[in-house]
Amino acid sequence: MLQYGQKSFLIVDDFTDFRTSTRSMLRELGVRDVDTADSGEQALRMCGQKRYDYILQDFHLGDGKKNGQQVLEDLILDKLISHECVFIMVTAESSQAIVLSALEHEPDAYLTKPFNRVGLAQRLDKLTQRKTLLKPILQALDRGRPAEVLAACAELCKKDPRFAPLCLRYRADALRDLNRFDELEKFLKSILASRPQPWVYAALGSLMHKRGQNAQAQGVYEQALKAFPIMPSLYDGMASVLVAQGESKRAQHMLEEAVRLSPLAVRRQAALGKLALDNEDFESASKAFRHAVNQGQSSRYKDAESNLGLVQALMNKNAGFGLDARTRVEINTVLSEVAKDNVEDQGLQVRARLMKAASLQQAGDAETAAKLTEQALQRLDKMDQFFSVEAALTVAKQLQSLGQEGAGGTILKGCVETYGDDPKVMQSVAKLTDDPTVLGAVTEAVDLNRQGVRSYQVGQLNEALQMFRKALSLQPKNISIALNTAQALLRIGGEATSPAILQECRDCLTRVAGIPASDSRYDRYRKLHIKVFGA
Amino acid sequence: MSQDNQGLDFSTVIASTVHDLKNSLSALIQSHDQWLARLPEALRGGTEQGVIEHEFRHLNGMLVQMLGLYKLGVNQLPVCPDYHELDDFIEAQLAAHQQVLEHNDILATWRIDSDNPLGFFDRELVASVIANVVTNATRYAGHALLISIEEENEQLVISVNDDGPGYPARMLERQQDYVQGIDAQSGSTGLGLYFAARIAALHERDGVRGRIEIANGGALGGGLFRLYLP
Repeated sequence: MLQYGQKSFLIVDDFTDFRTSTRSMLRELGVRDVDTADSGEQALRMCGQKRYDYILQDFHLGDGKKNGQQVLEDLILDKLISHECVFIMVTAESSQAIVLSALEHEPDAYLTKPFNRVGLAQRLDKLTQRKTLLKPILQALDRGRPAEVLAACAELCKKDPRFAPLCLRYRADALRDLNRFDELEKFLKSILASRPQPWVYAALGSLMHKRGQNAQAQGVYEQALKAFPIMPSLYDGMASVLVAQGESKRAQHMLEEAVRLSPLAVRRQAALGKLALDNEDFESASKAFRHAVNQGQSSRYKDAESNLGLVQALMNKNAGFGLDARTRVEINTVLSEVAKDNVEDQGLQVRARLMKAASLQQAGDAETAAKLTEQALQRLDKMDQFFSVEAALTVAKQLQSLGQEGAGGTILKGCVETYGDDPKVMQSVAKLTDDPTVLGAVTEAVDLNRQGVRSYQVGQLNEALQMFRKALSLQPKNISIALNTAQALLRIGGEATSPAILQECRDCLTRVAGIPASDSRYDRYRKLHIKVFGA
Repeated sequence: MSQDNQGLDFSTVIASTVHDLKNSLSALIQSHDQWLARLPEALRGGTEQGVIEHEFRHLNGMLVQMLGLYKLGVNQLPVCPDYHELDDFIEAQLAAHQQVLEHNDILATWRIDSDNPLGFFDRELVASVIANVVTNATRYAGHALLISIEEENEQLVISVNDDGPGYPARMLERQQDYVQGIDAQSGSTGLGLYFAARIAALHERDGVRGRIEIANGGALGGGLFRLYLP
């Protein structure tokens, strides 16, 4: 038996009896430092204060509370535990926990109730030994250095090749983080050829999806679901690949299947709601969004978009029939929550008010609707952040139907200025307006941007920069063009960027500072921002 | 679902009740352990203790199996194979049964005859099978139990052997029927074999499925259960 006298333990369980009996088992094992928590929220607070070496986390902490899986995700994403910490998920029944778990964050072990002192000691000893064996890898993970992770894996595999399978996952994640995609693909395929596991399929599928090889990715997920038909995460992956290929109906079926297997997943419910809304299946959409809103209360993935989606789905479901009292109450509740939770977010404040106005109009209260619209318009004037494409389109449509054609047109114009380089956006905008000053505004700038990208790709940086600059002068708020210009400037400037160039970069980024965090280019924006502003 | 108005689906009712039963039993077992620890040494042993421990394990194993069978029935039993250290796996199974083995005066040992320290299987599912077999073996064993793991034609073979009278001849002859679930009247052992065979078959590699086998003999001369995992 190993020595635990210097180690710290945390027991998380909602039952006092269980906490007491586990604590006394640990005491018998020589543990002196044992803390307990009766909820996930409390556990997270305690882990924020103190680094635990061992956590015994009960999976089911009561209905409506964070479950063990959510606690684990929060601990990892908020970096409240080290990779060296031994995290054991305690369950009444492990198969349920496995289905509900996410492939990307798995506990070190499951321990099924009931267990005795000898059984607990055996698990602790063995897991401690395993963590000791993997220590160099885990430390490199804590430092966030994927290259060191790879080196540590190689070292371990050389020392004892028999333990190489324990490194597979670490190596794959590291290759992904290092953007060594060709190698990663080969590596994952070789694992699948010998010992397929759900996470390998998921990793390969998402890699191919990321590289735009959606047909191949679909093949991977099809194979995966044949081998592991009860893993919800694989359905999620399949759904996103189907969406990318325009098969939104099939994608919805996939998510419905995943939700049937594992209903407690906020992001999955929200994604399902969005798909169903796009597919005009308003009944399913409202159901999924309602789940997302309710479950979101105890989750880090709480998202105002689900509240707005729920209202949209409810309104569409009842289109032409007004709104009954119960629906009106629900709409009120979820929208006030948005306004209350997002005081600082001007965009959400505007959207929640307009949504409310639209619902009042549908319910037959045109007067209050007009008043709210007026309020929303005043806020809109002062807003300096950009709407996402979808938000802009919804807001424009609502303004049009609330009799504010002019304000709707302004929103569309702004949307084109920011996102007009994307032909899909232009198609959507074209559905809402015929105004040539809106639709024709971007053609020249988009052409210039495209030429600039081509020059950039073949290394003609100065020529590229000229194109980007010209494009940006025509469309100063276009995200793609602004980021391209900044990137070209930095590339030309090299290590010793002159103050003038740095200033131009800053100007570029400042123009598009309203970029929503949900935008696919947000990461790129942040990276450039850190380079030129230092934060 | 046109049958919504006909009330609850009985198998779902059973499954959720079994789930609650299992939780109750866990609490019961854990309290019993704590209470036992407070008793004077002299009162802790005894045959009654052995019976209580054994029946606790037996009940727990049956509930796990019942939930497993329900999930198999509705195609919701997840299989999630991974690499596991073999010594860790066996030690964990024996540790879980430590008290019942002790109280029944059975000496359990284990052996691994494989160069590879890792095996590839679904730990929880295989553990539930081994738990049932060990519980069964403690009932029939004399004083010895042996769990061993070896490699045979690139398959992992987990064996549980005891020094008891062995399986009845009728059972050995008809093991294929149990495995296929043909003999529904065969009681808990038959159901256990059916469950074990289904779990084994969920492990597949290159078209080869896992399987089980029962026999008499082995190193200890009694019942011998073998689980083959490709």
